Order: sequence, then C-alpha cells, then structure tokens
Amino acid sequence: MNRTATLALIAGAAFAGAPAGAQETYEIWHYYAAGSELAGMNAMIENGNAASDDAVFEGVIIPGNVVELRRQLQSAMLGGQPPAAYQSSMAFELRTFVDSGQLHPLTDVWNTVNGDEIFPEGVQRVVKIDGVPYGVPYDLSLINNIFYNKEIFEELELDAPTDWDEFDATCAALSEAGYEPLGNAGGPFWSLYNFYAPLVSVVGVDGYYDLASGELGFDSEEFSTALDLYAEHMVPCYADNWSGKTWTQTADDVVNGDTGMFMMGIWVAAYFEQAGFMAGEDFDMFPAPGTADAAIFQMDVLAVPNGPDDAIAAAEVFIEAAASTEGQAAFAVPKGSLAPNVNVDPSVYGYAGASFSEQFSAASEAGKVLPNLFFLLPTDVGTELGVQIERFAIDPSDETKEEVISTLEAMRQSALEEDAFLNW
Amino acid sequence: MSLIPRSRTARAHILFLAVPILLFGAFYIYPIAASVRLSLHDWNGFSPDQRFVGLRNYAALWGQPRFINAVLNNLAWVAFMLTVPTGIGLALAAILDRGIRGETMFRIIFFLPFTIPAVSVGAIWRWMYEPSNGLLTTTLELVGLGGLAQNWLGDPDIVTFALMGAVAWWTTGFAFLVFFAGLRNIPEECIEAARIEGGSDWQIFWKVSFPLLWPSTIIVLGISAIDAMRLFDVIWATTKGGPAYASEVLAVQMYDLAFGRFQMGRASAVAVSLLVLSAVVIMPYIWYMTRRVQDAEVE
Repeated sequence: MNRTATLALIAGAAFAGAPAGAQETYEIWHYYAAGSELAGMNAMIENGNAASDDAVFEGVIIPGNVVELRRQLQSAMLGGQPPAAYQSSMAFELRTFVDSGQLHPLTDVWNTVNGDEIFPEGVQRVVKIDGVPYGVPYDLSLINNIFYNKEIFEELELDAPTDWDEFDATCAALSEAGYEPLGNAGGPFWSLYNFYAPLVSVVGVDGYYDLASGELGFDSEEFSTALDLYAEHMVPCYADNWSGKTWTQTADDVVNGDTGMFMMGIWVAAYFEQAGFMAGEDFDMFPAPGTADAAIFQMDVLAVPNGPDDAIAAAEVFIEAAASTEGQAAFAVPKGSLAPNVNVDPSVYGYAGASFSEQFSAASEAGKVLPNLFFLLPTDVGTELGVQIERFAIDPSDETKEEVISTLEAMRQSALEEDAFLNW
Repeated sequence: MSLIPRSRTARAHILFLAVPILLFGAFYIYPIAASVRLSLHDWNGFSPDQRFVGLRNYAALWGQPRFINAVLNNLAWVAFMLTVPTGIGLALAAILDRGIRGETMFRIIFFLPFTIPAVSVGAIWRWMYEPSNGLLTTTLELVGLGGLAQNWLGDPDIVTFALMGAVAWWTTGFAFLVFFAGLRNIPEECIEAARIEGGSDWQIFWKVSFPLLWPSTIIVLGISAIDAMRLFDVIWATTKGGPAYASEVLAVQMYDLAFGRFQMGRASAVAVSLLVLSAVVIMPYIWYMTRRVQDAEVE
C-alpha cells in the first residue's frame, strides 16, 4: 500500500469515528480537588448531564483555590477560549469580571428558575450586579458557628455558651482541665471569620454593611471596640501555636480530644463526619456569641463567561439543572454545605445540615443574613483585612492595633478615592 | 554591497543563529519588555482597558513595609542558599568520596528529596512542622528536648528559618550531586602527589580537591543564587507568604498582587523590581566567577 492510500485510510477511519450529531463536550471549571467537595461537584455535573440531551458536561479541576482559578481564567478569557461555566466567589469577585466585560448576564436562566423566588434576599444581593444576575448560587456555607467536642463538654459539665461572659467561663473551664479551649488556624481567612462575631456584636447588621460600603471607617470607634472585644474574649482563648496549623490540622485536634471548640465554616462538619466523628453524637455546634440570630455566610456561584453562543446555551441548561432542588441537593448533601434554593427539603440533610438550614431560615426571617465581609469589600481591602486581623490575633498589642487600623484606613481612603466600594 | 553573504555556509550560519535569536526575543526579551510596559499601567488582568499611571506603581511599592520586608527576605534567602545547602552538599560529597560502604545507597538517599516536586515538599513540611503533633516537635519531645519545639510555621520571627530548613532538605541533593561528580573527576595523580608530599586528608581536601572543584562550585553557587531570587513554589505551597507577610518573598508578593488582588500593573512593578534586584545581586557574581574560570584556564 502506498503512502497516499495509507493516509486516505487513516482519514476515513477518523471521520468514521466521529458520527454526525455527536454531543458537544463543555467544560465546567472548579477547584474542588478532593473529598466531599469533589463528590458534591461530581454529583452536580452528573445531574447536569442527566438534564441535557445535546451536551456533555465535564468537570475540570484547577488545583489550588480561587487565586489559581483566576490565573487559569485569565489565560482562557484573554485567549478567547473560556470554559462554558466556572465556580466563582460571590459579590466583588463577580463585579470585577462584569466590569471587565467577561461575564454573560444570566437574566434569562434566572427568570426560568424563578431566581427571585427560590433564593433568599440576602443571597440575591451578592449575585446581582446593578440588578442583573451574573451568578447562580449552589454552595452556601455558614461561617459563624463554633463546633465543640461533646465528650469534653459532658465530662466538664459545660453547656454551649450564649454570650461573651459564658464564653469566657467555658474557655477558662476547658483550659483548667488541660484542654486547648478554642482552635484556630493560620492564614488570612480564619481569624477574620472569627472576628466577625465581635464585629457584629458591636456594629450590628447596619454597621456591618456600612463597613462593607466604605461608609464606616476602620478608624471608627466601633471598629476599634470590635478589635478590643476580639482581643479580650477570643484571642486569649485560642489554642497554643494555632497560627502554625491548617484548619484540617485543628479539626483533627478536636476529633482527637485535644481541643474543645473550633469556630469554622460548616464544611468542617463534613470533614468531621468523614473522620467518623459524627454530628449530634461526637460533636455539636452553637452560633458564636453576638450572632445567635444571624447567619454569616459565604457562597460559591456558577458564572458564565462571554463566549460562543452554543457554549452559553449549554451553560444555561447546566445552570437550570444546578438551580433545581435536585441539583442543589446533589451538591450540598455530599459537600456538607447548604443549598441556597429555599425549596430544598431540609430532610435531605443529616443532623448538622438540618440545624444549619434552620439557623439560616431563622436569620432570613430576622433580616440578619450577612454575606462574608471579605467578599463584599473591594478585593484588595478584603484581602488586607484578613491579613491584618491575623496579625492582630498573633499579637493583640496596642501598637499592633494602631498599625492594623492605620493600614486598613489608608486602604479604605484609597479605595474611596477610586470609588471602588459598592452598596450591597 | 549586498547584506546577504554569498557563501552558502555563511548563509546557513546566519539561519541557524536567527532561530535562537528569534526564540530568545519572543520568549525572553518581549515578556520582559511587556512587563516593564505593564508596570506603568493600572490593569486588573481581565479588562480590555489599561490605564497609564506612570511610575505610581513603583512609588506605591517602595514606600510599603510589605515590599521592603519581601526584599529583605529575598536577600536572606540568597545568603542562605549560597551557604547552607551548598556547604552541606559539599560536606556530604567529601564524606562519600572517601569510598565508604553503602555509597550508592547514600547517594540515592541524599539526592532523592531533590526529585520531589516543590508542592509536595510544601505538603510534607506542612505536616513535619505541625506544632503540636508534627514529626519535628514529637521527635524533640521524645529525646527530651521538647523545650526547643516551636510554632514553626506560625511564628513570624521564625517562619522563614523553618522554611529554610525545608528548602535545605530539598535542594542539598543537587549541590551534593554536582560536587560529588566534580570530586570524582579530579585526577587521582593530583591527590596521590599531595599524599606523597605528606599532606593530611584535611590539607589535601582544602589545598588540592577544593580548588579543583571551582567549575562545580560556580555551577552550584550560580544556580543557588538564582533559585533564591526566584523562590516561590515552596513558600506558596507551605505558608503563602504568611503569617501576615512574614515569610513573603518578591515572587510570592507578585503572584498575590496579580491574581489575589487583581493588581496586574503593581505585580509587574514587583516583577521588574525583582529583575533589577536579581541583576544587581547575581550579575557581579556571575561576571566574577566567569573571569576566575577564564583565569584558571589560562593558568
């Protein structure tokens, strides 16, 4: 057989392998690389594939976190080859991409799924930019709960504290009995999330949003008082060497019975249960003092980049499936988070999820659903707030406090000059 | 007069030279020029619009304690990389060169960490340095030295030293391998002659072997200095520059600004500053070492 004939045969075989009307494959980018998170995403993608006849959805893991995902997105978007949809943070993250002309408005699919009906008002405000929805939520986690080791609490006959005085007494009792009272972990997120409890205690819901919109200064009396409250009640309660641990290492300390309490996002409940440490039996949780009737949450959404029409149409089919009660439960149950869709039956959750769902509903009714401040602030200011609160948690001296306030206030003034703050 | 040489050989030379020059221009010179240009703009990395801001990104950086801290950390890493992994690698190579038993096994053990990806090194040492139950703390407690245990990665005063320990474990194998190969290439008659002259092992090493190791030393020191300036992956995988910027170096700051804060222009200013700093720190060394090699060859 000569060379021309061989090439013709190969070409013919190639065409024969691609039947007419084959389903197109569309990529969904995310950074859930392992464990319960990956299980949740895989279940949601499976749900999307079941809902689509014409498209196949494929999850693409971008190892790392939102920072690595942004790096990949930059190349893809500037190169004109973005994924059909991707995992995005809420609020300012969406704003940045919308202002850059990179996101497709999701008005049509939002109306199809009755977004204004199925998602609570507090959730809607962080996915809409100038009233237009650019993200559809699927993964909501509360971050104002303190988890505790039940065996330790029962041994010491402790009850879940409800205010700062009781919290101090609980810390003292744990410490006297030889336990580390309150776990924490290094990095710009965890101390900041802990700090929200004293912050909300001092500034309330309105002050929280004022801080997010740049109206309340970091040099204000209220912010200073919140730092004092944090330094007085939470920082002395922290476990030794907390800043050298990851959150999973600290969670292990709770499971192992070394640490009594741990304030962390509700994803830690899934981590505990994967370790055989069961909700209601081995651990339980209570809202941090000052946030008893509130729900501070963070959320991931599905965003759709501007791209070819067929990719956008496919992404909207995927999102419609993801926003349904089945799609939301498919992700939230294995992941250990809450479904933002209020129509999801709470009975799909276990003990922990049902408790969080009840907490979120009560906070919604009370008008105290607060999105994570980190994502409400301009990205630079939010990130710096996390770094500075960790710095203060490591060294809560007056000198550090002054430096923290002056650093953050300088950034607020700079952001005000650039008109960077938003009213959420 | 035509600029195109008539000789076919000369034209071939030009063609072969043109390919690497074009590649060098496209993948080295152009990105540097683009970074310099970007450092004069305000850009979030996604918008079609870039706003010219002149030197404002540089002015903002150079007044920041965060930037100064990262520069000092980079310089500390240069000093460390030039001395510790290099020194340990040389010592291990010298010990193994004496023909001890199990040489092959030790060679593998010493070099193995260098084959591990940086992200894995970060993950390994994240657990080694766990302050309560990590391997290092537990070992110290077992041998009665629990008082020396530290909050390895969480104390701003010691985190960089802890990271240096991890990097020493990781990179010493490279220095060891180059020095070991260098020692094995030293002519045996030089050593024999020194021994006949009555030189001790110590004298033979410092007076004969070490001077003949100059080519290996130049490679190890040059690459170590460059590695120190571009250090990123182990720090990012282990502490992300924390706590509170304590372990941050310029490359980490650049990455954080670019993709953590959407400040591509300011990140480019960090990149250009790093390039200049690297040139100031490393180029004199490379020039000096190159001259020494040329002098040695002449001698």
